[in-house]
Amino acid sequence: MRSLLFTAALLLGLGLIAPASKAQELTISLELPVIETAQYYRPYVAVWVEDEAQQPVRLIALWRKEPDWLKDIRRFWRKIGRSETELVDARTGATRTPGRYQLSWDGLDDAGQPLPAGEYTVFVEASREQGGRSLQRQSFQWGGAAQHYTQEAMPELGELKITLN
Amino acid sequence: MKKMILATLLTLCSASAAAHTLWVLPSHFVLSSEDSWISVDVSAANMTFVADKGVSPANLSIVFPDGQRQAFAQSYQGKRKSQADHQLTMDGTYRIELGGPARYFTFFQEDGQRRRIMANKQERAAQLPANATNVVTTRSRGRALSYVSVNAPNQTALALSNDGLELKLLTHPADVVATEPVRWQFVLDGKPVADVQVELSREGELYRDDAGREVLSSDANGYLTFTPQVPGRYVIEASVQLDSSNALADQVRESLTLTFEAALP
Repeated sequence: MRSLLFTAALLLGLGLIAPASKAQELTISLELPVIETAQYYRPYVAVWVEDEAQQPVRLIALWRKEPDWLKDIRRFWRKIGRSETELVDARTGATRTPGRYQLSWDGLDDAGQPLPAGEYTVFVEASREQGGRSLQRQSFQWGGAAQHYTQEAMPELGELKITLN
Repeated sequence: MKKMILATLLTLCSASAAAHTLWVLPSHFVLSSEDSWISVDVSAANMTFVADKGVSPANLSIVFPDGQRQAFAQSYQGKRKSQADHQLTMDGTYRIELGGPARYFTFFQEDGQRRRIMANKQERAAQLPANATNVVTTRSRGRALSYVSVNAPNQTALALSNDGLELKLLTHPADVVATEPVRWQFVLDGKPVADVQVELSREGELYRDDAGREVLSSDANGYLTFTPQVPGRYVIEASVQLDSSNALADQVRESLTLTFEAALP
């Protein structure tokens, strides 16, 4: 048993077995800020992961209502929304009130297949009717050591905290 | 250059718009809702998207994502700009196009004056005065284009007619993003055309000291490569003049404008 563990550790150290097998998880903590305005509409929000080639690999969350305004989550729309109708339907959730929300990613793609270790980027995009649009992005090494990042607050998104355990 | 634009514009609209750039400007380039309406402005002006002269919408049409061409449901010719509306009833990419068929002009000298008749090489003999000299027949045409996508973009409306000056849109108009390179190819009658002179401009010129126009040119294989630096609405204006002796003309003059948006990254 001990030698098995040792071998596994050795192989991991040498990068010979996929580190994703450590059951890593990416935790995304995002915030929809309280915005004082006469007419506040909840923002449309998309959270997704792209690979190094800027190709979307996993849509994590989509909070929205009418299709008319989906295009205003600009990058999400171009990368995913306009062509992945079924995925959009499957991931659609209700819009949210201001507050902090925690989401996670398990390293699987949209088809449920594990992705290889490497650099990925998580995107959080929020667009609000009669408001603005904010896009936060954070690159990370999937399969790498534990990582923790924060992205500063933007007008439509509070501080973004990303943790890879 | 000015003369060429003038000649081409004459084929499209009245002489009052001479030397202006003619464009079509859709209300939206990207839509995410079925059966959306679109409004298109048509104007000819010196400043990009600052409407100056309303142009007849008679030659305005829209090619649907399945390749079918339709006339606009309603249109209006205004003094400063014209407007047309249409409902986009299917998903995919639409081409908005202003432009009629090529027209033929025969230029000649008579008694020391430069004159012009509307005739191609086959028609001109019957119309030219006996003492006409320096006779040159030009095939002339201008197009103004823009592309709009509803939900998933497609390629059908991007297909070339292989007639006149066209752009092969290797970068789909729905994929033009600020800071990312765009690669298109000029073709004339279906063949790549080198050294097409292009002016790239963007909205907001009225509020900038430097309009920031870029003069570009297609390379030896007709490719035009550029990177829009800021998000916003752009127009490229291109023109060519080539000797091209055939049964109907001695020379080809073509111009084309394409209105597009560079999306937020």
